[in-house]
Amino acid sequence: MSDTMNETHVALGGDTTISCTVNGQAVSVEVPVRTSLSDMLRSALELTGTHLGCEHGVCGACTIVLDGAAVRSCLMLAVQADGTEIRTIEGLATDGTWHPIQQAMHDHHGFQCAFCSPGFMMTAVAMLEDDPNRTEAEIREELGGNLCRCTGYESIIDGVLGAIAEMRDGDGGVA
Amino acid sequence: MSPDGNQGSGLGAFTGTSVKRVEDHRLLVGEGRYVADVVPDGCLHAAFVRSPFPHARITGIDTADAKRLPGVVTVVTGAEIEALTNPILPFLALPGLYTPLYHCLSSERVRFVGDPVAIVVASSRAIAEDAVELVDVTYEPLPGIGTLDAALDTASEPIWPKAKGNLLYDHTNDHGDVDAVFADADHVFTETFRCPRQSNQPMETRGILVEFSADGEITVRAATQAPHMLRWQLAAYARKESAAQAVKAFATNTERRTAFVDAAKSFFAERGEALQASDNTAMQTQMKTDPRTALQMMRTGAQLLGRDDYPHVTADDIGGGFGAKGSVAREEIAVAAVAFALGRSVSWIEDRMENLMDGGQAREEEMTLSIACDADGTIRGLDVDLVLDQGAYPGNPIGAPITVRIMEVMQPGAYRFEAFRQRSRIVTTNKGKYVAYRGPWANETWARERMVNVVARRLGISQTEIRRKNMYGDEDFPATMLTGPSLDVTCSVRKTLERAEELADLPGLDALRADAAARGKRLGIGFASYHEAAPGPPDYWESVNPGTSALLDQPATASVDTDGKIKIWTSQMPHGQSHETTYAQLAADQLGVGIDDIELVYGHTSRAPFDLLGTGGSRGGPVGGGAVRKVGRGLRAAVVAKAADMLEANVDDISIVDGNIHVAGVPARGLGYADLAARVVADGETVEGKDGTYAFNVEDTYTSAGDGGWSVATHVCWVEVDIETGLVDIPRYLVVEDCGPIINPAIVDGQARGGVAQGIGAVLYERAAYDDDANLQASTYMDYLIPTATEVPRIEVEHMETLSPGENDHRGVGEGGMIGAPAAITNAIEDALDVTVNEQYLPPTRILELAGVIEPD
Ligand code: FES
Ligand code: FES
Repeated sequence: MSDTMNETHVALGGDTTISCTVNGQAVSVEVPVRTSLSDMLRSALELTGTHLGCEHGVCGACTIVLDGAAVRSCLMLAVQADGTEIRTIEGLATDGTWHPIQQAMHDHHGFQCAFCSPGFMMTAVAMLEDDPNRTEAEIREELGGNLCRCTGYESIIDGVLGAIAEMRDGDGGVA
Repeated sequence: MSPDGNQGSGLGAFTGTSVKRVEDHRLLVGEGRYVADVVPDGCLHAAFVRSPFPHARITGIDTADAKRLPGVVTVVTGAEIEALTNPILPFLALPGLYTPLYHCLSSERVRFVGDPVAIVVASSRAIAEDAVELVDVTYEPLPGIGTLDAALDTASEPIWPKAKGNLLYDHTNDHGDVDAVFADADHVFTETFRCPRQSNQPMETRGILVEFSADGEITVRAATQAPHMLRWQLAAYARKESAAQAVKAFATNTERRTAFVDAAKSFFAERGEALQASDNTAMQTQMKTDPRTALQMMRTGAQLLGRDDYPHVTADDIGGGFGAKGSVAREEIAVAAVAFALGRSVSWIEDRMENLMDGGQAREEEMTLSIACDADGTIRGLDVDLVLDQGAYPGNPIGAPITVRIMEVMQPGAYRFEAFRQRSRIVTTNKGKYVAYRGPWANETWARERMVNVVARRLGISQTEIRRKNMYGDEDFPATMLTGPSLDVTCSVRKTLERAEELADLPGLDALRADAAARGKRLGIGFASYHEAAPGPPDYWESVNPGTSALLDQPATASVDTDGKIKIWTSQMPHGQSHETTYAQLAADQLGVGIDDIELVYGHTSRAPFDLLGTGGSRGGPVGGGAVRKVGRGLRAAVVAKAADMLEANVDDISIVDGNIHVAGVPARGLGYADLAARVVADGETVEGKDGTYAFNVEDTYTSAGDGGWSVATHVCWVEVDIETGLVDIPRYLVVEDCGPIINPAIVDGQARGGVAQGIGAVLYERAAYDDDANLQASTYMDYLIPTATEVPRIEVEHMETLSPGENDHRGVGEGGMIGAPAAITNAIEDALDVTVNEQYLPPTRILELAGVIEPD
């Protein structure tokens, strides 16, 4: 990895160069053309917080925010991400301060093994940035594309509701 | 001050409160270290060639094209790997059971869709997968055995030729005079219950990384619930020494030999009587059926004992397991064997399709239950005929044999039966292997609680009345189950039932039914109750299988390093259960410090105290927690003694508050742990422990005397069935559980809810489907449906905390949700439809058939 001015360049013995912004940092990556976006993030950029649960687009563990929308990075090729702006779980906290969704998940015991957690939190972030006024039913519907095998979802839903309360009026919703 | 305000104020401050998770500080920011995250640059990647047939002979295998692909390092076939590995041996013998010997890759015959026949190692996973496509295997298909009936048919093609059939175990036990009770009772009711194959499906698949350091030292990293088990098995199976070599090494390694003899002596001194009382013919069938077993056992044993330089195994963060990662995978043995042979780092991260084929399946059982009862609703006799489908290969090490034993011991539940008979059969079929899945024996609860409801319906009494009438209550204790285990007040099943009845608002039920009917839906309610051994009394484990009460032992260490940092060392292997938080709660309370002052050490076999099982069997609270408390107490005593010495005070006058060790009443003159440690160093009193020098180091083993008792619950489920669509909605779900005093309520709630969600999946969505010829029908998440946030409702969890006289009174909760849920949900569906429900899996089409809306297929 080499940093020139404010762009990070990674060469992974590839035949294609992809330039995009990841967590606010301009990057250019050389990868084989068939590389998936998730493999580029995890291997080339060492952003292993984005997890792979199925690699066929169902579990949602690999969800990232790309140009403001929640997308499954296992279903996209890295080349499709050229010129985009990407956010991953590693970019959620700012200067060591957790994003409200992280704080709320912590406060509500949101996750257990937490393998699913990056996907849930990135999906929730995209949803709340789009429109923070969500009912529980809407949240369940929006998160219905993410699988968690540990929690039964209640603690995750409570976490999202807590984040909404926090973002609305600074009340984390913890009794 | 900790970021969460987790500051210690003294004994008892944390235990019982919902302390926020310590683990979150790395997991919520994407800094978890799951095995796929730590594969180093330059590591080789493995992929497997797998059988597309359920059952076939391999007549040829050509790897030349695959080997020529640039980037491919090696391709090893099943036949070739036999030079590098030993066959996998039976772990648990039952009288009359035959357990096949098999290698990590198959060579002559494949036995299920996904059976690995070759391993490819390449510079990238993509290249390894490309090369898999280039391996040309010629198969000659054999008939696939895909149903219990086919397996029980003596004319069917034997999957394991030495077994001479596909029935591997058939054993009947009578407890009490069964025939007399059945002859005397007013009624006998009989039903057959079927549960299809399910799968554990942790969100993280399996994975292993065998890593060579620059100086050639090997470390194995894996997603495993049991690092010590994996280490031993890799030492036993992933390398091969000749018998002569192995025996010579053992004979000349005197230290190792003496240690082994001492350990064996103490094991037999403690358990000899029980072992002798058991059927010591258990290995006879095995030896008769496959005489190679004895030779292989001796050779492998000698190989294990001859050396002590096996590679260490370590695990970091793990994305769930639910029992599946307590198994040692054949793939793990193959990857390790090839990496050892190459002398290079190799990783294998399983994909989801492989996990659905070969990552572990469970629960496929058919059970015929007869209950003898009197007209007044007194249930008296129970007769069970169980057939369990273990799939093609035995679970390693936990699988069908221990499961049928636990199913039998727990089958009568908390009911006062007079007599009980169980016939248990294990068959082999061409399906994925049967492993432990969260409450592996849970179908005893499902079938019994279904049958109790059938009896109630036939007699015209309510499902709660029949339970209340026949369950043990406080007035009966101490009591003994017909199958052997003793029951005390912690078997508070009836109390949870009575509390559930209060909370369920049964008088309001008619109004709910009417309301649902007005919307075109049918409402039903289902109750189910169980008790489980978490930890269970020693006579429980001895009833299951002699010697297994060793599961009630667990070692731990508590230390203070020379800088004053406190460490707790556990043999538990957390994979979602939040041990770092709950054990810190227990230890912080013992030691008068904050949560963040405790570091939990686990995972690495050079550091984690030895325990083969790691985390499994709901032992984290009762046994692992007991060990933490015991060493915590020991460390406190040592710390207090030293402080009393320094402060010239009596030990009884020493308090520790917020990490300040002082004479009660004079905190201003107190000492910190660092002060104390510095003094120990100055006085030359440091001690050697694992991984270094410590100011204090307390190692001990906790043995649950079983006085921690039983973990119990009653589940109540309300369903609304839409008979237009067959969809089942769960408007309300209630768990009333009693796991004794709770360490962390939020974590207990999470365990209960997660288990119930898996139970909802089992009944309404999930099926590891095979056709009758054993072709796999569910190899992606489009076919194997895991319930989502739109299907799993809020789940009310009510706690009761019955005290036991036990030394460590925290009982296990990891499995209970999954044990109670399938019974409560299917009972509710039966109530809604007013028909007998015989299957556990009830997708919309089956619901519509049961409702009479469509014709059965
Ligand atoms: S890994 Fe991308 S959806 Fe499962
Ligand atoms: S917390 Fe384990 S999968 Fe969601």
